[in-house]
Amino acid sequence: MQGGKYLADGKSQSLFRDKPIKVLLAKPGIDGHDRGMFVLARAFRDAGMDVLYAGLLPTPEDVVNTAVNEDVDVVALSLLNGAHLTVFKKVMDLMKERGIDDISVVGGGTIPDHDRPKLEKMGITGNYGPGTPLKVIIDHITERAAEARQKKNRI
Amino acid sequence: MNIDEIIEGISRKDSRSISRAISIFEDELLADKAEELIRKLYPKTGKAHVIGITGPPGVGKSTMIGRVSGFMAEEGRKPGVLAIDASSPYSRGAFLGNRVRMQESLGEKGIYMRSLTNRGFKGGLSLSALGACKVLDAAGFDPIIVETVGSGQADLDIMSVAHTVAVILAPGLGDEIQAIKAGMMEIGDLFIVNKIDREGAFIAMKEIQDTLALGPQDKWVKPVLGLNSLTGEGFQEFIAELDRHWEYVNTRGDGKARLQGEVALIMESIFRKSLERLMSDEGGAMETLRRVYSREIDPYMAAELLMEYGIHDPARSTRLK
Repeated sequence: MQGGKYLADGKSQSLFRDKPIKVLLAKPGIDGHDRGMFVLARAFRDAGMDVLYAGLLPTPEDVVNTAVNEDVDVVALSLLNGAHLTVFKKVMDLMKERGIDDISVVGGGTIPDHDRPKLEKMGITGNYGPGTPLKVIIDHITERAAEARQKKNRI
Repeated sequence: MNIDEIIEGISRKDSRSISRAISIFEDELLADKAEELIRKLYPKTGKAHVIGITGPPGVGKSTMIGRVSGFMAEEGRKPGVLAIDASSPYSRGAFLGNRVRMQESLGEKGIYMRSLTNRGFKGGLSLSALGACKVLDAAGFDPIIVETVGSGQADLDIMSVAHTVAVILAPGLGDEIQAIKAGMMEIGDLFIVNKIDREGAFIAMKEIQDTLALGPQDKWVKPVLGLNSLTGEGFQEFIAELDRHWEYVNTRGDGKARLQGEVALIMESIFRKSLERLMSDEGGAMETLRRVYSREIDPYMAAELLMEYGIHDPARSTRLK
């Protein structure tokens, strides 16, 4: 049929029955360095995901509300300002408060090595720094999205 | 959450339940669940005013919707917003950018907003958007504002389900207004010229009025309004016109036409999906197509055969002599 209905590898889109992975990219807190987010947004889209960006300077509450209203599979948090231990935690606390267990949270930015275990303990995985190949990030998101989707589809 | 919990949550306006319900309509693997959901939800629907917003990219649809839903929420109404974005035909991924434009008023006023993607083919969009409308309706949102990309047939489809369609344009589109005349001038009930502070706004409004004057005349005279989403200028008038049209729709009583359109839309979506699957490389029509290629049968004959036997059972059409 018409070319537009085929993906780059020649597979017809109409054969996909599942809902694509949905990711929310967010930089909660006072950090306007969003160039990296745009690179990731483009990479995730090209990997076949539905991508949302929370905009500049959202509060942790905004991030959780958006994640819930859009029913995303993964929230990808990024900060380059050093506030990850407080702000990422706030996002996790809000999610716990609302009983949300079917959305995975991953992190990234300029995160010192010794902070990674602390974030992991909160349930925030990945925590990749500058220079990480896009494929590593995409694979990680795909894995965490599958976890979330499995919980969501228990209906 | 099981379906009954989701339905109970929807009646409480619980955003997690509403979000899950909409996702079920987006995921074809959950088609059985979607069927159960719509069967149980449908009796609770039918109250909301569905407003469609369409127009070319870049005229300010999302920003305007953020503003108008904010004003409506201030008046004590409960607007819900659905925004549709195009997905890439190459990767099937999408960047859902509408939300960023309305984020501020959504957050402050607690308005429910959800982004949907067209998933590269028409059938999917129409069905999931229709399902999402029903979820918001059952949850008690009123009005439901649906934003579309502003191009393509799928947009027109979803517009046929809206009670009121507002077409948005902006000054400086120039000849684009000419091009838009054909499709959008017919589907619009209201016309908006956004960014009214820009040069050429009044000329744009006048051009639209001139075009409308040449069109078929109805009891409903299509208003042409100017808006400024930054200052809020013109929004009270816009809301008043939306209400006036809703009243007009209710007194005119065109429920039958809308139901015909809705059921036809669902049938067409289902049919189109099975057609696309049939005609894809993996779809089972290949044997018939090979017979056309070898000039054993002609394309019209192939279409007839596939139509009769292939849509439900593609394998059968290959057996026909």
